[in-house]
Amino acid sequence: MIGRVRHLQEDRLFDCYTAAQAGELPDPRSAAHIADCTECRARYDELVQFMDGLRQEADEDTAAVFTPETLRAQQQHIMRRIEHLGHPARVLSFPGRVVRRHFAPAAGRIAPRWTAAAAAAGLVIGVGVGVVFDSRNRVAAPSPLAMTISRTARPAAPVVSVAVEAPVADDDAFLSEIETVLGGPHNQELLPFDALTPRVQELLAGLR
Amino acid sequence: MSDPRSVRLADSSQGAAAEARGRKAAADASAPDTQLAIEVRTLVANGDLEAARERFAGLVSAHQRRAVRIAYQYLRDAAEADEAVQDAFVKVFGHISSYREAWPFEVWFTRILINGCLDRRKARARRDRWFVASEEATGLDEARYAGSVAPDNDPEARILARERRARLASAISRLDGRQRLVFTLCHFGDRTPREVSAITGLNESTVRVHLFRAARKLRGLLGGKS
Repeated sequence: MIGRVRHLQEDRLFDCYTAAQAGELPDPRSAAHIADCTECRARYDELVQFMDGLRQEADEDTAAVFTPETLRAQQQHIMRRIEHLGHPARVLSFPGRVVRRHFAPAAGRIAPRWTAAAAAAGLVIGVGVGVVFDSRNRVAAPSPLAMTISRTARPAAPVVSVAVEAPVADDDAFLSEIETVLGGPHNQELLPFDALTPRVQELLAGLR
Repeated sequence: MSDPRSVRLADSSQGAAAEARGRKAAADASAPDTQLAIEVRTLVANGDLEAARERFAGLVSAHQRRAVRIAYQYLRDAAEADEAVQDAFVKVFGHISSYREAWPFEVWFTRILINGCLDRRKARARRDRWFVASEEATGLDEARYAGSVAPDNDPEARILARERRARLASAISRLDGRQRLVFTLCHFGDRTPREVSAITGLNESTVRVHLFRAARKLRGLLGGKS
């Protein structure tokens, strides 16, 4: 009577491979079957070849990135870091000549607070004065250069052109164009920002 | 891909079952590195740090290459693997007083290393969620790789090697978190399923199942039979 040959499942083959790698004895029935069955032997050899290839590739890969020099440097880094373990951090006094006395921690915190407040006040004053002077200068002498967006030539792609002594009508066209764009279906979310932006006409009127 | 957090290893203080598995794996507790670790611990306890550091250098030499292989294959980033290995050794020295002989030194060390690697993967995932991924790390690896390849190596072989590396990295990155961890420890870290069970706290049969599934998936992805 010819019995139906039952081959080993993949997990059984893999168990045999794992046992061999770990130096353990494989399951005796599986080992006997691999020894007798040509097909399972071939499958097992293929599995071993694949796993060994994978291992070899990974080894080469790691060895190529972590060369002996890299490993030596890494070891030195580790030993240096270990030497500093448990040592309190070295404090560098900066600036060395100016700081001569040691402040108590509470006093040390007050000085930077004053410095920060003074710096913030200076910044606010500076920005305010700058804005005032800038707006006055603009009213007195308008910039000779004006940037316009012309859509006459290519409506699909706006062309930015720089014109000397651009007429006021161009400014109006520019602003109306912005308003047209803002009124578009996809720009509704920009309207609050637009509302927050001061209008040139309003600023001019206020200054007059 | 599962969340790396889900496979973070328990501390040595947790899990009596894991500790029992560790003891089982510690059949060879008299291994030279374990003895060396005990010596280092004694020297640190006696305050002889200089001698402790000298002995510890021996432990570093014994485990560095394997640690680098595990960290690099798990993180796939040379700089991060380098830092992870350094951190693991420094942490081991800093906490050597808490080392117990119940665990073989390499199990204890690998556990610390893997926990560091898992933290780094988690941090990287968080970074990738909020920032555009940088090509810097890959570039650095490529530069290191190219620098280490012999100059007489022809460009075609170099390109093929790079493609093989990329395929392998991609295949490993597609493994489930636990599969990747178990496969890395077993196949690249030379650990037996029993030792991996002690390191990870997973049941030994679970380790074997993860290992088999990882190998099957890799065979499918890399062109072998699945």
